[in-house]
Amino acid sequence: MENLSILTHLDYTLMIVAIGAALLGAVSGALGSYAVLRRQSLLGDAISHAALPGIAIAFLLTGSKTPLILVLGAAIAGWLGTLLILSIVRLTRIKYDSALGIVLSTFFGFGLVLHTLIQRTGNANQAGLDTFLFGQAATMLARDVLTIGILGGIALTVMLVFWKELKLLVFDEGFAASIGFPIRTLDILLTSLLVVAIVLGLQAVGAVLMSAMLVAPAVAARQWTDRLRLMVFLAACFGALAGVSGTIISSTASRIPTGPTIVLCATVVVGLSIAFAPNRGLVWDRIRQQRNRRNLKMETSRY
Amino acid sequence: MQGAEQKAIQVTDLTVAYQDKPVLWDIDLDVPPGVLLSIVGPNGAGKTTLIKAILGLVRPAAGNVLIYDKPYEAQRGIVGYVPQRGSVDWDFPTNVLDVVMMGRYGALGWIRRPRKKERELAMQALEKVGMEAYTTRQISQLSGGQQQRVFLARALVQDATVYLMDEPFQGVDATTERAIVTLLQELRADGKTVVVVHHDLQTVTDYFDWVMLLNIRRIASGPVDEIFTSDNLRETYGGRVAFMK
Repeated sequence: MENLSILTHLDYTLMIVAIGAALLGAVSGALGSYAVLRRQSLLGDAISHAALPGIAIAFLLTGSKTPLILVLGAAIAGWLGTLLILSIVRLTRIKYDSALGIVLSTFFGFGLVLHTLIQRTGNANQAGLDTFLFGQAATMLARDVLTIGILGGIALTVMLVFWKELKLLVFDEGFAASIGFPIRTLDILLTSLLVVAIVLGLQAVGAVLMSAMLVAPAVAARQWTDRLRLMVFLAACFGALAGVSGTIISSTASRIPTGPTIVLCATVVVGLSIAFAPNRGLVWDRIRQQRNRRNLKMETSRY
Repeated sequence: MQGAEQKAIQVTDLTVAYQDKPVLWDIDLDVPPGVLLSIVGPNGAGKTTLIKAILGLVRPAAGNVLIYDKPYEAQRGIVGYVPQRGSVDWDFPTNVLDVVMMGRYGALGWIRRPRKKERELAMQALEKVGMEAYTTRQISQLSGGQQQRVFLARALVQDATVYLMDEPFQGVDATTERAIVTLLQELRADGKTVVVVHHDLQTVTDYFDWVMLLNIRRIASGPVDEIFTSDNLRETYGGRVAFMK
């Protein structure tokens, strides 16, 4: 009987939601690999927080809750926030982490104020904007999944087309510039791809935890391989896995926000990877150490 | 070596400042083709900045740089660059052959991927630096000297006429140092011009034929036997130099 009830859970709506979560997990996992390798893990956090006022402003301007419009607002705000961070670092003596903190909290605070204002006006339309804080994958419709599929597909295609250039940018920026690749343009391209991945995930995962979807799958994937191609592919798989399992778990009871559940699933993958991955994993490391120690003891005891 | 008036590198009135502090002040430098030049000076003398300014990686406040009479942008194809080994993250997930092939990315241009030809060129360069046995090695598993050789191989596949190298001898073992010196001399024998940021005063006369003494300003530059004098060194290092042959 138990099994049957789980099976009936796998209805059409849930399937749509799971496909959507898988897609955005894959997109953010793949693109997040670059953020992690560039040591810009927190940039995703700044972008997702900075996107929040964009959603509110888009709603205030249009009065519409069409995801595409809200996502567009989020993208513009997230992108502006990123450019602001990069300009602060370039034009002032403020360091990267401080610039990140300033922009993140200012934009997020502004976004919260706007959301409160919208709620006060009692606009019957407003219910649902909250989902952008912690995510509610259950609100995902077929057309949202289509949006994620198309935009995510474009982002991944761009990533693949400029594979060699992006790899060089991340590994050795100075050398890339010396042979004539415009690193600032490439930097903006890569950041824009991250913005796309983030705003696609806002509805399901929420602004607060979205950056985990960029970082966690990539960190997990890095433990298993020493090849960039495989790392990006694995990160996409881990992201999709976390997306699907998080969505299904959060759908088993009402009022479990999807975002935190997905992120917890991703964290489990990270934990398992750090513990058990060959070469880098802690468990193998310990076993290797013990074996070495035993061998050394045998060697030395001969004398 | 004199012959034509043409200069491989010509730096005129170059000034670079970070914020309001000058790191290079009014630098003039003429490098004739086919010399092995070392840039020598104390920490913070602006050696790396000079290399980066020649490559257009830092924007000068004043002055200009010509490579064979043309601005750098027009001459990228004939310039090879070896950055400081510590400037990249060696834990990046890639292998030796892949890093060396990056030296062909400039010639490949946008989007085109390295193919068999690039792979062969990379293999040849790895043989030249004695690293052919390490092609598939993950770069984080290399020693400092091996990392440096990989960077040199990457510059070799650029097949340049002018090479700029930032501290290639930094933190390498004796074997690698000898291998690098041999390589530099081969490059010179092929008529290439090589500029090397160098730290070890003891070896300047053995390894190089030209030298530039730098401490924010240019103290002197020219053939080693004329320029590498105790007076010039004292001026460069502000009397703190406890060295003379």
